[in-house]
Amino acid sequence: MAGTGAFGYAPAIALFPLVAFVVALTFGKYMPKRGAIAGILATAGSFLLSLWLLVTVAGGEVYHETLYEWAAGDVLTEAGSNGIEFTFGLLIDPLSALMLVIVSLVAFLVHVFSLGYMNAEGETGLPRYYAGLGLFTFSMLAFVYADNLLMAFMFFELVGLCSYLLIGFWFRTRSAPSAAKKAFLVTRFGDYFFLLGVVAIASTFGTVAFAGENSFVVAAETAIENGQTLFGFDARTWVTITALLVLGGVMGKSAQFPLHTWLPDAMEGPTTVSALIHAATMVAAGVYLVARMFGYYALSPTALTVISFVGGFTALFAATMGVVKDDIKQVLAYSTISQYGYMMLGLGVGGYVAGVFHLMNHAFFKALLFLGAGAVIVIMHHEQDMWKMGGLKDKAPITYYTFLAGALALAGIIPFSGFWSKDEVLYDALIVGLEQPVILVAYAMALIAVFFTGFYTFRMVFLTFHGEPRSETAEDPHPVGWSIKAPLIVLGILAVVAGLVNLAPLAQVLGVDITFLEHWLDGEFGSVEGLTYHAYHETVAFDEGAIGSETVTMLLGAGLSLGLALAGALTAHTLYNVPEPVRHKERLGGVRRTLEANYYQDEYQVWIAERFTLPVARMADRFDQSVIDGLVNSVSTASLFGGSRLKRVQTGLVTNYAALLVAGFIGLLLLLGTLGGWFL
Amino acid sequence: MAVEVQYYVLLSMALFSIGLFGILTRRNALLFLMSVELMLNAANINLIAFAFYHGNLTGQVFALFTMALAAAEVAIGLGILLVLYRNFRDVDVTVPTTMRW
Repeated sequence: MAGTGAFGYAPAIALFPLVAFVVALTFGKYMPKRGAIAGILATAGSFLLSLWLLVTVAGGEVYHETLYEWAAGDVLTEAGSNGIEFTFGLLIDPLSALMLVIVSLVAFLVHVFSLGYMNAEGETGLPRYYAGLGLFTFSMLAFVYADNLLMAFMFFELVGLCSYLLIGFWFRTRSAPSAAKKAFLVTRFGDYFFLLGVVAIASTFGTVAFAGENSFVVAAETAIENGQTLFGFDARTWVTITALLVLGGVMGKSAQFPLHTWLPDAMEGPTTVSALIHAATMVAAGVYLVARMFGYYALSPTALTVISFVGGFTALFAATMGVVKDDIKQVLAYSTISQYGYMMLGLGVGGYVAGVFHLMNHAFFKALLFLGAGAVIVIMHHEQDMWKMGGLKDKAPITYYTFLAGALALAGIIPFSGFWSKDEVLYDALIVGLEQPVILVAYAMALIAVFFTGFYTFRMVFLTFHGEPRSETAEDPHPVGWSIKAPLIVLGILAVVAGLVNLAPLAQVLGVDITFLEHWLDGEFGSVEGLTYHAYHETVAFDEGAIGSETVTMLLGAGLSLGLALAGALTAHTLYNVPEPVRHKERLGGVRRTLEANYYQDEYQVWIAERFTLPVARMADRFDQSVIDGLVNSVSTASLFGGSRLKRVQTGLVTNYAALLVAGFIGLLLLLGTLGGWFL
Repeated sequence: MAVEVQYYVLLSMALFSIGLFGILTRRNALLFLMSVELMLNAANINLIAFAFYHGNLTGQVFALFTMALAAAEVAIGLGILLVLYRNFRDVDVTVPTTMRW
């Protein structure tokens, strides 16, 4: 059954980019911009429809409808419910409506930017590129408004496939295909656990729906209340186990430690693709999934603690690596890992609004920074080493100022968007941390990461734009067109003002009601039953503490993080904002080597693969080759041998056949006669 | 004066044995066909003799069918013979054994 009004058009949001994918793939070669126009129109259409949906949801309507049922059956599940259905359906509530707008906007801007970044540079294989972008956008949009876990999983996988295709876009180089394969395999490793989680949830509760009376969240809640035993575990323990299994997929896609290694390598793809992956699609999918099924995670304090600890650790871990990178895209890659760590921390401590808020702001400022980096790369004639840049400030003012806005947001400097959301994440972590030592550790790590974030962000800005030009290309930059500038300006404005939607600290101090996002996610405009911030907040079993009063705690936390961010930025200013900056990281000695080698994460993963997985695989192969194949081969050898002996009976001489026939007949007669007693 | 049925059976046995002997000893495909005809007719004699003995017509009717069948068989058999001759320039059945496997 289709919905009415705006909701009737909801499927089109995802289908537009799918059409663009087909069009770009089949007719891209013959089209004037090689498929770009189709992609731009499709994503613009998706964006407008998403906006319409957002307005409709703001008007108090939500939409939760099953569109297609592709399998149903009777089964007695562990939690005692009968029957299971696998469906495609849409769930449009405040969260997904917001995310649809973000994804379609970023995808639209990336398409426009691609005109300047890919078309103007005369790349080959553009139809393939635009087809990939279309499919990528389609999968992400469909993932965002999926109403059940299985559908989400399918599109989650499709997102992974698209990232593989796009990271490996320049497949003629040596590094791009290998980076694409790495991204695919590492995220697939996580997705393996996700799949196990989906199966576990489906077989336990007999439903995979996110929302409504029949959702697995409600079923899990009931099971815990009734003190049921599921698969030999206490209900809460089993929920924790399944939640952590699903978290495996999240950690792979959102590049959380230890599955983050694919993301920096993914910089081999075109910069526009990096912007799309980091801001709105692939990496955001992981965190979005946690937010989507937050009610389920909220049931398990253990899972939440794991999320927050992994998040806090990843935030610090990635930030330290970002400090020593020379490639502008590498710095951004590590900042992405770090920022997603913050989101995980925010969600892990029950700060649903904070996590989603940071997800939104990050989408804008990270898309801005990546597109800005893309602009810089165009300006620098495809040079990515920051030590060869410098002094671009005056030559490319629009790129500089928009990039600066993004950098300030990333570093978390007041009043840019990143400050408000990061501060909210840290505040939520702090108040829970005061009661939970483990989370306090996670908070401390995230807090220290703020300093490093400020440092590497401004190191990047200063090295790229300030000082004297350090190469010939930096002295004579390549001009950039409107298709590059326009998306930068749009995102630059958003990076500055997006924080306005939830000024929680100001609301606290001034006592005015300006936390719009919180109200939005709280379902004050309209929501699906059970999917509100309040419902989640009641489920989360964390106590919250405060230093003095709430306001004091909040001001203290905000002051601390702002101070650290400014300290980081100032350190970068003193070290690198000079006409002729030098490589200060030489002074770090052994630490530098560790950091540049990314803490030997790749090395140990390769070591595990070579020392453990490979021998196991070899053994399995040997078993397959010798035992299984041996069995099959021996059967066939026996019949082959038997056949080759037996065929000699066929002489080709009719006389022989007739003789055998007669002999057989006589033999049969004799036999029957003997048995029948004729000869007695 | 009716002939006893066992004489018919003996005649048919003799005919059949002659046919079988032909098939087992000859190498000429044409003689094969003739031998097969002999065996068929041995069966026919049996059928008619027993029809006469039992006093109904079933056996005779079957004998008619067998004759029709024999005619068809000869037609196909001669066809095969022609092809055999065309390919091997001979109607000796030991020559086409090269076609076995």
